[in-house]
Amino acid sequence: MNEAAIMTGMAVLAAGGGLSLRRSWRARGDGGRRWKAGGWALLLAACALGAMTLGTMRGLFTGFTIAAVAMLAIVASGMVVRESKQARRSKSLAPEPLDRKPSWWRSALRWLLAGPIGMIAAMAVGIFWSVWTGGAEHTRLVIGGMLVPLVWGGAMAWTLADNRILRATAVLSLVALLGFGLSILKGFG
Amino acid sequence: MNANAKTMTGKQPLMSRIPAGFVQAVLKGHSALGLAFAAAIYVVCLSGTLSVFLHEFTAWENPAAPHIEQMSPDAVQKALENAVSQSSGEVHHVRLIMPSADQTFLTLDVDTANGDKEWVADASGNLTPLRNAWSEFIIRLHIFLHLPSSWGIFIVGMTGVALLSSLISGLCAHPRIFRDAFHLRIGGSQRLQEADLHNRIGVWGLPFHIIVSLTGAFLGLTTIIVGILGMAMFNGDTARIYALFTPPEPVENAAQAPVLDLRPMLARLPAEGVLERITVEHPTEMGAAAIFDIDDKQALAGTSSLGFTRSAEIYYNKDISKASLGERVFGALGPLHFGWFGGGIVKIAYGLLGLGLTYLAVGGVKIWLVRRRDKGRPAPGWESVWAAVVWGQPAGLAAAALCAIVLPEWPYTFLIAVWGAITLAMLAGATVLSASVLTISGKAATAILAISLGLYHAMFIAGGSASASVWAMDVLLFTFGCGVALYLIRGSRRPRSAARQAG
Repeated sequence: MNEAAIMTGMAVLAAGGGLSLRRSWRARGDGGRRWKAGGWALLLAACALGAMTLGTMRGLFTGFTIAAVAMLAIVASGMVVRESKQARRSKSLAPEPLDRKPSWWRSALRWLLAGPIGMIAAMAVGIFWSVWTGGAEHTRLVIGGMLVPLVWGGAMAWTLADNRILRATAVLSLVALLGFGLSILKGFG
Repeated sequence: MNANAKTMTGKQPLMSRIPAGFVQAVLKGHSALGLAFAAAIYVVCLSGTLSVFLHEFTAWENPAAPHIEQMSPDAVQKALENAVSQSSGEVHHVRLIMPSADQTFLTLDVDTANGDKEWVADASGNLTPLRNAWSEFIIRLHIFLHLPSSWGIFIVGMTGVALLSSLISGLCAHPRIFRDAFHLRIGGSQRLQEADLHNRIGVWGLPFHIIVSLTGAFLGLTTIIVGILGMAMFNGDTARIYALFTPPEPVENAAQAPVLDLRPMLARLPAEGVLERITVEHPTEMGAAAIFDIDDKQALAGTSSLGFTRSAEIYYNKDISKASLGERVFGALGPLHFGWFGGGIVKIAYGLLGLGLTYLAVGGVKIWLVRRRDKGRPAPGWESVWAAVVWGQPAGLAAAALCAIVLPEWPYTFLIAVWGAITLAMLAGATVLSASVLTISGKAATAILAISLGLYHAMFIAGGSASASVWAMDVLLFTFGCGVALYLIRGSRRPRSAARQAG
């Protein structure tokens, strides 16, 4: 079958999944459970169809991409256009960010942790993985390398949010020391 | 807790159980990180969205290039010989990109002691210079932000990490993720509208956002990761790490020889797979070699490679289907990041989702600005700066593209000057002009430039092109320009009608 037809089929399945999930969302409670299960099943089916016909990984990632577009199209189709006067009266339910007392040294430390210290700790984790895990050299290096942005991103999110900044400093410093120390101790081989 | 949030069994939904203090703290971090990196994320995402269509842009810049489905080995050889003979100075490498569905002609990139020169070959192997100033400009903006390469790629990598981190904190700071899963309320309170857009795009596009930010961060940080790994593990010898992922160098023999003959090598290629690229090393030396990259269309993981010596003996053979997991993941990073793995449909989907990701940066800052205004602490200075950033970029990019088309002899470095001048002019304007004036000027400039670009290209450049993507690009530019113009006109009518109603 031609690829465009398969992708169209995937889009139809994903859109069906989106409609089903929206129906479940509108019904809420037990009434929506079957629609919810059906919706996720259709989304999975879209990805599975891709994996079976377009190549396993290629089809899977094509499925993720098409499903994301289909879901956003379903969300857009349910758009509600409001009167601006009426909307101005409605109260926002969105949570507000925390109001921290300004402190220059805490801010500076926080950004140092999110930036260079977080990066060094993430590098240490990545290198530790590359050095200490088994398997092909390429795999250890690539997985270790992928861990660096993941761990750094996680560290950024954590240190910019955590109020106990000294705890974050201690943890990241320890991770960096241990990661590099143990890696240098063993060496890459 | 809202009673509606409880399920029929009386239990609270998972996300509603997250303590409010935690959500507020994470939101604070999300907000700080987003604001710090907003402009970089916006520029990287906007240029990345355009880079998805890099091959189509190259075709658009060369509408007269022939539409070739299959090149004969003789024509490929002739193109190589022509490229070498028309080069001045010692030729180090020649890279031939074979015709494909998204770029239907053969291009040659010749790397000599006197610099690079790029060519387009016709079906007989005759060459004309390749026009790619705009394509070069946009991909370098995405990868280096037009900064010195090692700094630029690091900043882009760090931007990828910041984006990834924002996705993590954004999810943690969104306790209403399921309750609001399909809400999209437009036209009412601006804060609610922007929050809905930001959250819906962020949540439902999440697989895409994670894929592009993780792959982008990894690709951007590769140099520094390899550098530190080399320093810590290999006494600073980073070449040992790169050697694991690149074909070995052929045996050195600098004695002069005729241009390497690719034809016996082409005859030895396997029937399966599609030849994507040929890299010729030192084509006029006895130690010449050629690497043939063959794409398995069903595989995501890059290409298989065959390396041939001058005598057409195979000295390197990498079968991607038998490669280690690491090699396959590494090979998949580029296609996954740019959406170059599933043809036109996936590219269009990547384009739409890329615009969504770009809007996450725009909307995130808008939410912060509107929140300040709602609390009676407006930040008009930052509103102007953000309007200048948001509307300066499309105007600057459209102006650079127009220059590339009208003045094709300009190198991409001149386009940087045009784009940089508009970016700086808008930012300078932010010191004296209000956000609404900057928004109107940016929209008007973008609309005029995009419409002019589409029309000029269609009328004077594209004539006779057989490529559907070339015409589609012109239609898209024209439509985009008209869309921005309509948006501008509607926006300027709204305050007047609101004022009339209020009166």
